[in-house]
Amino acid sequence: MEKQCKGQAKVIYLVSLTPKDCFKVLFVKRVAIISVGNSRFGVRSDATYPEIAFEAVKEALEDAGITQKDIELSVVGTVGNRLYDMYPAPLINEYVGLASIGPLRVEAACASGSAALFTAYNAIASGFVNTAIVMGVEKMCEVDTPTSTAVGGRGCYLWEFHMFGTSFASYYALFATAHMAKYGTTEEQLAKVAVKNHYYAARNPKAHFQKEITVETVLQSRVICWPLKLYDCCPLSDGAAAVILASEEKVKQFKVQDPVWIEAIGFGSDTGNLTRREDYTSLRSTRMASEMAYKIAKVKPEDIEVAEVHDCFTIAEIMAYEDLGFCKKGDGGKLIDEEQTFIGGKIPVNVDGGLKAKGHPLGATGCSMIYELTRQLRNEAGNRQVPLKKYTALAHNVGMTGQYCYVTILKR
Amino acid sequence: MSKAHEHLTMKSRALILTHEIPISRTKKYWEGLKEGKVYATKCKKCGQIYYPPQIDCFQCLSSDVDWIQLSNGSIETFTQVYLKPQGFTHHERNYIIAIAKTTDGVRVMGWLEEKDLKVVKVGTPVKILAEIMPDGFPIIIFKPA
Repeated sequence: MEKQCKGQAKVIYLVSLTPKDCFKVLFVKRVAIISVGNSRFGVRSDATYPEIAFEAVKEALEDAGITQKDIELSVVGTVGNRLYDMYPAPLINEYVGLASIGPLRVEAACASGSAALFTAYNAIASGFVNTAIVMGVEKMCEVDTPTSTAVGGRGCYLWEFHMFGTSFASYYALFATAHMAKYGTTEEQLAKVAVKNHYYAARNPKAHFQKEITVETVLQSRVICWPLKLYDCCPLSDGAAAVILASEEKVKQFKVQDPVWIEAIGFGSDTGNLTRREDYTSLRSTRMASEMAYKIAKVKPEDIEVAEVHDCFTIAEIMAYEDLGFCKKGDGGKLIDEEQTFIGGKIPVNVDGGLKAKGHPLGATGCSMIYELTRQLRNEAGNRQVPLKKYTALAHNVGMTGQYCYVTILKR
Repeated sequence: MSKAHEHLTMKSRALILTHEIPISRTKKYWEGLKEGKVYATKCKKCGQIYYPPQIDCFQCLSSDVDWIQLSNGSIETFTQVYLKPQGFTHHERNYIIAIAKTTDGVRVMGWLEEKDLKVVKVGTPVKILAEIMPDGFPIIIFKPA
């Protein structure tokens, strides 16, 4: 563990959050993102899930200028519980020409894409393989809305759904009510998050929604779970995204100039039952994952120049601002009021439209965040390009209501 | 074959999943709901209280618990559900899901018995009750005290 490895390695002293003493010294190889791909998000009744996975994989392979033969490991991230297939990963791998290198499927609810990235990252960082592809794939629109809502709400069946009819909107609505009561956050401030994310989605041809909206649109839309209204909620979307990772040796071999590097992946988790939480204004798993990621990457929140945060509901983006340290706890509403999370502001957030307006095909989301940030860091984001100096970006992907969380820091 | 969103689609064979959930170890809880009472477990060895009830204490690994009734609490947060999931669409009322912190220090989820959302506030003290609904499923009810 203490030994130096031939120049390509990096020693990371990871200090655990609980208990406070140093618990591990990790010895890892650097991992680069050499290419990315993203299907169009939306109601994709024109294609099956392997067919939309192919769209993302084709773009990623062409982006890297490599073939399936150059890849050693495939990791599929999907929730998959709205599919007609119960074991989708082999069928996805088979369809895209990766049948012989896909030994697992990874699931961590809405953070499945990041959990898959974490799995592939570790396989390269540990030296087990030199290249890997991560595919996040999800179809949510082949079943009707009450069924999809019920599947989503069964995060904790026995003690919550069975008796109370919870849905994901209701879970986040519970956080919205508590946040509004404690910090004076308003429905208008929540609406402004949706307005921002629709503004950018309208400039992203791959986004589910292509229209700008106003605060009035949000406030006048029908109530889903008070205080959340239709436009506070992300849509049910179909989509796929792919990320190809490589070790430093392979980066040289493929002659990739100036790639994006994964500086850190931090993780956090929390109780399954919401009634076992201490608080409903913050996600502890976000705080833990980001603290870990900042520590490993040796950066601070103020070093982040562009962020993708988990805005499945508008309140989730407000909480993310605070829990990631972009502003003080309770000041999330003020940050959007001041338009600090638009391009040109203090910290541009979700400038691809976010989950809220680009769409949230569960397993695809974590990979799609990496897709956007990679293109931002390569200055390829066109009319949505964030001006960069430090070339440091952050992706924040939550599973359920903070039951899982991954924070990934990228640099170029 | 049918057309959804103007694309050609084909219906799958339906899958119906109904489970037989083992509740013998938490029988006291489910029986309690029928009597209008909500129970938590308390480890006899270390005193840890669990809600939802669990008969295995993860702190001291003992499986010897007392059942304690939760009676009073105050509302920590709530939401009124308009878009109901499959299984709840027969409820005409837009039910209010709330989380209450009990005087024992644990939190309970329930439906808040209050028609006017405007009078509901975080901090409202409530009585914790339970009953069996007309559809046969149990429900925990928070009644403003």
